[in-house]
Order: sequence, then C-alpha cells, then structure tokens
Amino acid sequence: MIVALALSSVLLLTLDLRGNQVFDGIRSGFSVVMSPFDRAAEVATAPVVRLWRAYDDYDRVVEENRALHAQVDAQRSAEIAAQNAIIENQDLLALEGLESLASYDSVTARLIGQSPGNFDQQVEIDRGAIHGIRVGMAALNEAGLVGKVTSVAPQSSIIMLLTDPSYAVPVKILATLEPTVVVSATTTSTSTTTLPGDGEVAPDPIESSTTSTSTTTPTTTTSSVPAVVRETGVLRGQGDLRLPRVSFIASSTSFGRIEVGDTVFTAGGSTSLAPPNIPVGRVANVITRAGTAGQELEIEPTADLNRLQFVRVVLYLPPSEVGG
Amino acid sequence: MEAPLRAWLPRLLLIGVVLLAAQTSIAAELRPFGVAIQIMLACAAAAGAASGVTQGALAGFLLGLMYDLGTGTPLGATALTMAFGGYVAGWGRQYRIEPRWWILAGLAAIGAGAGEAAVPLVRVMIGETDVVGRQMLIIVPVVTVAAAALSPLFVPMMRWALRIRPVELRLPADA
Repeated sequence: MIVALALSSVLLLTLDLRGNQVFDGIRSGFSVVMSPFDRAAEVATAPVVRLWRAYDDYDRVVEENRALHAQVDAQRSAEIAAQNAIIENQDLLALEGLESLASYDSVTARLIGQSPGNFDQQVEIDRGAIHGIRVGMAALNEAGLVGKVTSVAPQSSIIMLLTDPSYAVPVKILATLEPTVVVSATTTSTSTTTLPGDGEVAPDPIESSTTSTSTTTPTTTTSSVPAVVRETGVLRGQGDLRLPRVSFIASSTSFGRIEVGDTVFTAGGSTSLAPPNIPVGRVANVITRAGTAGQELEIEPTADLNRLQFVRVVLYLPPSEVGG
Repeated sequence: MEAPLRAWLPRLLLIGVVLLAAQTSIAAELRPFGVAIQIMLACAAAAGAASGVTQGALAGFLLGLMYDLGTGTPLGATALTMAFGGYVAGWGRQYRIEPRWWILAGLAAIGAGAGEAAVPLVRVMIGETDVVGRQMLIIVPVVTVAAAALSPLFVPMMRWALRIRPVELRLPADA
C-alpha cells in the first residue's frame, strides 16, 4: 500500500511540476470550495490569534517602537531629499519617454494567510485573477520587493516570498564608488608685452617684444559626484533564517568595488517577470569563494517580510510574455 | 476489520476541509518557537495510530493531497510525507491490540516527526535546494510534541472518521 501511494505521489509530482492544466483547474476549484471555510476559520480564530500576538509580540513591539522613533527622526530630512530626487527622476524619465515603476498598473492586496508549512515562504492575498493578477507578477510593498505570484485563484493568490529557496530574480547592484581622487597638471601662462617708446603712432606687432612665462602646478581634484557601477546577477532565496544571495555576478573589473551597504534593484529585461528598478535590498555581506566560483552577495531585503500586511502586485508582463 | 474506503471517505474529507482551514489560519499564525504546528500531519499520524499502516497511510495520503491543493505546494509532495507519517504511526500500532492513550500519543508523535523530517527530503528530490538546515532541529521536535499533545483529540476523531470499532476480545468459552 505504501509503495503504491509513494508511486502515486511521484506520478502526481511529475505531472504537476511539468505544468498541468487539469491540476491547475482542480486547484482553482478547490480554492473556491475552501474559501468559505477559510473565512469562517479566520473569523473564529481571530480572538485566539490576537491574544497570541499580544503575548508573543509585546516586548518586541515596545523595543521596536523606541528604535523606530529614533529612526523616523533621522530619516525626516533624508525623506525630503529623496522625494525631490524621485520627482526629478520621474520628470526625466517622462521627458525621455522611458517607462518607470510608476507607469505600470498595480493592485493593492491584503494578506489573508501565512505559509501553513515550515519549509515554504509564502503568503496568501485577497486579490486574484478577476483583479488582473497572473502567475509570475511581482509583489512589493512600500519598502521594496516582496516576492512573486505563484498561484492564482479567482479571488485570492499565493505569493512566494523572496526568501523561498525556489525564488530567483535577475538583479543589478548599484555600487557607489568612493569619491575619486584625480591628480592633474594645471598650466598657467603669463604673457608680458614690451611696447616701444613714446611718440610712436602704432606699435608694430613684429617689432614689439613679447615675453611668455609658463608655470605648471599639480592640482588634486576630488570628485564630489559618486560614480555608480552596475553589476548584474541572480538573486535566490535561501530559506526563512538565511539571507537571499546574489550569484552569477557578471565579471567585470569593477566587481571588487561592491561593498556592504550597496543597493540592489531588480534588473528587468525582456524575460524577467519583475519590472526593472524595484528596490530589493542592501548588500549585507560579500562572500569570496575559492577557485573560479566567483563571489556571492548576501542581501538584506528592504521589505520586512515578517510584518507584511498589504502588498502591491505590479500588473507587469515582460515583453517576451506580451509578445508571445 | 477495516471499513471500505467509500464508507469513511466522506467523513475524512469533511475533517480534512475543517483541519485545512485551521492549518492555514490559526496554525499558521501561532508559531511556538517560530514553528508552524502541522495539524493535518498530526491528524494523519493519529489515523495511523488509531487504525494501522494501511488506513494510516491512505488517510495521510488523502489529507496530504488536500493540503497540496489548498496551499499551492507541488501536488503529491505533502501527500507523500503525510502518507509516510501515517504509515510510521500505524507500524507501531500492530504490536498492541488496544494500546493505552499514551502509547497512541507516542505513536502519533513518532509518525508526525517522521513525516515532517521527510518533507525536506521530498523537496530535495523535486529539485529544491537549501531546505535542510539547522532549523530542522527545532521544527521536528516542536511538530512531534504538538502531535502528541493533539492526539487525545485526534485519535478519537479519526476513529470516528475511519469507522473504527473498539476491538472485542472474546474468550474461547464465549465463542
């Protein structure tokens, strides 16, 4: 019996992983059937869940509140500068006819469930196919990328978080270079013209005596505008307790300049399911591997995946999907 | 004497729907030590402890299929691990005719622990990476203890669902 069940499971797994319309239909139907039960369970268990959260979260919330107050104070001025930069950026993009994240439609959804298992990093939202959501679309919140849609029912969807081991997305690392020091030679020329004596009507240029003095002074210039180097790679989730990593980084002479704290954005592209320029996180650690394996980057996501309440699903399909 | 599948399937499906709703709501939220208690796996193990290897594995398989359909995990992945959990719990059942409650709790715990430990192995089999880690040292014990704690509720429930009647012992003189 156990052998027959094991073989059945393997068969189902094989068919499902290869993509099966029948299974997708069954899943969608099952989701519709389960919907009232889920709602009922959510309502019935809400008091218990609230009690548990109150017990489990109180100390952490108090401490976090103190830290956040300090952080808000520190970020007020930075926010004003950032808002100004965003507006300028939008204006420039519009001027050049380029698409930005703001030019894509999106659907805001509320989280209605967390991952019921211990090995999947996923959440369920209350928006689905009838709201325009499709499998593969990127989900983000105010802080940055959250994950991607992996399953869509008519009125709900499942989002795989970017910490899930199955998650992968092309990213680019914007490495801010340190201010460059340029040593240049500045040549200062001084010309002295000696005119003939008084009484002459007009000085003849040929006859006039001219003495030129040239002085070369070395000048050190510090570039105040930081240069930005773009590296591309693939970000993969590593599980709940580990930071996502970026691997397959394109080799370039400037790779060594990537440092902890550099920012990571989605790279976009014709085949990437996520549009470009969604903030993903910051480089938390640069891992040097032996041999030709190259380097890996550990990324601290900007979005707090443990405290999600609302997410925005970007209704973006890559050019390859639209064309196909 | 085991009841035929068609006799107990509707009851099992009804329980499965209710437990799946509980799994995706309260069990997903209440995470002792950061671990989601696996209610459905505990139920599958309780089915094995209450009945035996055959019904335990079959009940685990069906509950696992419902879990896969409801949570978006690859179809068959959880079915395989829950069938294994039910089988392991039922395997110990064959050595006692009518075990005491604490033996049933122990069997359910072992079955649930085995089932949860099998999850990363199945995930590796289907190509996922980095699913086996130190967190297993927390996940498996928590799931195991939770299954033992829930067994006094789940074992009678699965006896009802699987239409298991109490064993009647007759002395030769009664026959």
